[in-house]
Amino acid sequence: MSTAPATVDGPLLTADGVPLKESLQISLRRSKMRALLLVLPPLLFLIFLFVIPIGNMLTRSVDDNLINDVLPNTFAAFETWDKKSEPTEAMFEAFYKDLRDADRTDIGKASVRMNYANPGWRSLIKRTARKIDKMEPPYKEAFLKADDRWLDQDFWRSLGIMKDRVTFGYYLNAVDLDYDYDKNIIQQDEERKVYNLLWWRTIKVSIIVTIACLLLAYPVSYLLATLPMRIANLLMICVLMPFWTSLLVRIVAWMIMLQQNGVVNDTLVAAGVLSDENRLSMMYNFNGTIIVMTQILLPFMILPIYSVMKTIPPSYMKAAQNLGATPTLAFIRVYMPQTIPGIGAGCILVFIVAIGYYITPELVGGKDGRLIGNMVAYHMQRSLNWGLAAAMGTILLCVILVFYWVYDKIIGIDNMKMG
Amino acid sequence: MKVLLKHTLLASVVAVTTAAQAEVNIVSWGGAYTASQQKAYQDTYKDPGSINFINYNGGLGEVRTQVESGNVTWDIVDVLPHEGRVGCDEGLFEELDRSRFAPAPDGTPMDDDIMVELPNDCVVPQIFWSYVPFYKAGTFKDAQPTTIADFFNVKKFPGKRGIHTWPNALIEMALLADGVAVKDVYKVMSTPEGIDRAFMMLDKIKDHAVFWSSGAKPLELVQSGEVSMALAYNGRIGAAILSEDAPFVTVWDGQVLEEEWLGMMKGAPNKEAAMDFLIHASTTQSQAEQAKYINYGPMRASAFEIIKKGEPWFHNGKNIMEHMPNRPEVMPRSVVASPEWWADYGDSVGERYTAWMGQ
Amino acid sequence: MSSENALVRFVDIQKSYDGEALVVKNLNLDVAKGEFLTMLGPSGSGKTTCLMMLAGFEPATHGEIFLNEHPINRVPPHKRGIGMVFQNYALFPHMTVAENLAFPLEVRHMDKSEREQRVKRALDMVQLGKFGDPRPAQLSGGQAQRVAVARSLVFDPDLVLMDEPLGALDKNLREQMQYEIKHIHENLGLTVVYVTHDQSEALTMSNRIAVFDDGIIQQCDPPPVLYEEPNNAFVAGFIGENNRFVGKVTEDSGDTVKVEIEAGAVVVAKKVNVEGVGSRSTLSLRPERVTVDPEAGSLPNIFSGKAEELIYLGDHIRTRFTVLGHDDFIVKIPNSAAHARLKEGDTVNIGWNAEDCRALDPSD
Repeated sequence: MSTAPATVDGPLLTADGVPLKESLQISLRRSKMRALLLVLPPLLFLIFLFVIPIGNMLTRSVDDNLINDVLPNTFAAFETWDKKSEPTEAMFEAFYKDLRDADRTDIGKASVRMNYANPGWRSLIKRTARKIDKMEPPYKEAFLKADDRWLDQDFWRSLGIMKDRVTFGYYLNAVDLDYDYDKNIIQQDEERKVYNLLWWRTIKVSIIVTIACLLLAYPVSYLLATLPMRIANLLMICVLMPFWTSLLVRIVAWMIMLQQNGVVNDTLVAAGVLSDENRLSMMYNFNGTIIVMTQILLPFMILPIYSVMKTIPPSYMKAAQNLGATPTLAFIRVYMPQTIPGIGAGCILVFIVAIGYYITPELVGGKDGRLIGNMVAYHMQRSLNWGLAAAMGTILLCVILVFYWVYDKIIGIDNMKMG
Repeated sequence: MKVLLKHTLLASVVAVTTAAQAEVNIVSWGGAYTASQQKAYQDTYKDPGSINFINYNGGLGEVRTQVESGNVTWDIVDVLPHEGRVGCDEGLFEELDRSRFAPAPDGTPMDDDIMVELPNDCVVPQIFWSYVPFYKAGTFKDAQPTTIADFFNVKKFPGKRGIHTWPNALIEMALLADGVAVKDVYKVMSTPEGIDRAFMMLDKIKDHAVFWSSGAKPLELVQSGEVSMALAYNGRIGAAILSEDAPFVTVWDGQVLEEEWLGMMKGAPNKEAAMDFLIHASTTQSQAEQAKYINYGPMRASAFEIIKKGEPWFHNGKNIMEHMPNRPEVMPRSVVASPEWWADYGDSVGERYTAWMGQ
Repeated sequence: MSSENALVRFVDIQKSYDGEALVVKNLNLDVAKGEFLTMLGPSGSGKTTCLMMLAGFEPATHGEIFLNEHPINRVPPHKRGIGMVFQNYALFPHMTVAENLAFPLEVRHMDKSEREQRVKRALDMVQLGKFGDPRPAQLSGGQAQRVAVARSLVFDPDLVLMDEPLGALDKNLREQMQYEIKHIHENLGLTVVYVTHDQSEALTMSNRIAVFDDGIIQQCDPPPVLYEEPNNAFVAGFIGENNRFVGKVTEDSGDTVKVEIEAGAVVVAKKVNVEGVGSRSTLSLRPERVTVDPEAGSLPNIFSGKAEELIYLGDHIRTRFTVLGHDDFIVKIPNSAAHARLKEGDTVNIGWNAEDCRALDPSD
């Protein structure tokens, strides 16, 4: 007892006089290092496969650096223009210098970007760039000789949209808005408006699919959780079968079932339920998308609900009935509330997968079953407008976060059980 | 023992990687089209084993991803006219030494032997294909459809119409059906009123439209009677007629011709081998050879001459010329798609078309 | 037993789950109003099945159960009005304690103020007056147990069933809860049917214990009777500790019999459940009824035994002897000043009264 080094005015010391805190830290350092090493692989994984791509997406969705790097003189000259009178020689000269000095592929990329601001830029730049080596002052005349559209003020004024290095134009386009030439936000041309429709449809489809999955999955999960093991296992295999079948095979199977001349319609016509002219359209439209997506996403709903139901002892239902509740009331008041964590997890899972879905809508959606995911894929693969695709991806991410937040407010994230 | 095993393993790994390195990866659309390329180019090549065909669904998305990330695994890509131009503009494709390509038998350099203007130095000629209307024999009782206007006339020729989910060719066809002359199509399309006019024409078949997005679909739709007429790739219709004796009738009026090019990836891993194969694939002989297996028209005029003289040219002893989309007889009523126009207006018209579909 | 004031009557009840074997074989049992009856038995003896049939969760295969003279075979569980405490309490985890208690009142459409009053009273009864707000998961085992009891009582049932309610508690708490439940039973004048496999629990709490084995009630009597006067070898073995000898009856003199053990020795025992001379019998003798080193002739049964093992247990010394060829003969020697100081290996005489040694059925 007499060796206790604690003093009233100093820090606590260990037996050899080192402050207790310090020696504690030293003793913990090794285990901390080891813990850090263990965490490192998943951390790197997370950074490379999640943080960096998302950062890249966010950057691309607002990035307008390239055009400003390619056309520095042009933008400087543009600032001196009154935007009413004819473009001046100085502006043409600036443009000439930029085109002459820039790397050819950069010009190509820039012209693609400029075409978003005003359709036609691409061919205009290309034709002009082809002759740039032989041009001599006055450049205005030389440019006009290359393409007479250079007098069209719309092209020049559209530079105003691109003069900043950060643009929100892609976001505007993604919700059917646009910049006018003075960077005021305006509505997109009426006949080009398509994205808002697709956003609402995507959310609508996701919600309908989520609800349909829930309604179908709940009784199935209940059966799975309550039936004897042997039968339940068989049923489980049926539930998981879709997971083991190629997506395309499943979709084609649905096509055969549901198309106008498909099995379902043929059967209904043969049975006299439908006349030949009134065959149901269940494929290549909104209905097709809903039906096939529901089937494909059903296991994502069943598994979390099932795993929660599996943990609910049958004694709760017995207790509720013993306390005077009818079986129905016992189910609603006692059983169902306990499955909410599973319902929540299933709904979030299905909704998140559904909102970004595009393969199924592409194949069975026809004209009015296509979703925003299809547009993201289109802009990634076909039009190469990656800025717009990134903006849509970011919005999609935000929509998911909003739903997640709402879920947290209503049910609570802690209550979610994946299984 | 263990050491021996290790060395054998190491040796086989090295062998595999070197073999893989010698391989030229060529990316194409799959199906009968790739098969024709394999028979005409790969099987006649001096080292067929070094050529490896990969399927893709078009677009430059993957090409750009590979080039931007610096992890290029493809060597040659089979691309549409638009992609052939954008790929070169954005530096996704290599510029090629044009002097190395084989001239025609009469000595004409390859670039002058191509039936259209060469857009840039990145691309190597392939074939012409087209969007064309067709129907199943016996669908219509009295008058048979013969013009593109008939395709848009659901009163005279009732039934649904199968059309694709993107606007290419449809705008051109709609204007042709509305009476615009072939040579004026792009002039009209370059005005906002022209686009409105095309959409007004499209409105006439909108309620009867069944949309397709994969090439096999329109044939199924027509075969099953779900639609009475459809637009399809001419090669698909030709293949069904030539190889399976399908009772399809092609309406050779108002078709829209598209070019198909080969390009070499920027930073292709096997540049020299890929160049060698490109030279082989673009010779007059190879191009003519391909027409034995598919009714897409070679881009080189000299190849066309060989086919004409060699009829019946198709591999099963049938005549191929009457199924060629760019044979001289049908050219007056055909539009050669303008990649330049589509580069300028493709995005905005595409959005409008998508909106139109969904309305 | 008279059925006049019986609250529950099982009449000729049989139960089978698979159509092949009977789990409950021809059960007849009356439970009187205000009685605390325990169904005791090893697992698989049919006691829980009987409770579940009474609660209505299992249908009887044959026979009829009466509650207050009414047959209830066709009455669904929620209309039986029987309170029940489940093995793991079955407190609804998504409701607070108060909500759990209010649940049976709510489904009976009781108005809110009445509900609150009753919930409060029930909580007070189990000394949890301030524990209305937490969820069951936040309670300790003992608290959860009390809540379960309170919930089973809150709607004033005449009959409360308890299915091994104390199984999950540690020993101290279990003993405390035994007394609390017993007091509640006494204070409220409840009728309780209690299922357990723990004999000391049954002895502590019950008015009567029905010992189950193999789907049959082996004996149904108050605890002292059950302990002192077991009817058969199973009950004797299941309730408390006993020493057994198996032998053949050689002489039957009405009240007592002489039984010859294999070793050749003859034991005089009280005749309880034997068929007669020549039949086999199991003798049962409680360890505390054995006298060590008795005076010669003072007891009818005196044999020599060798002390094999001594265990000091404070109030008594548990000693294992070899007697009459059995090396598992246990004697509880009271730790009194007068008791014999034995050592392991000592050989002494031990003896017992014929009264304390019961001649029973041959069991297995």
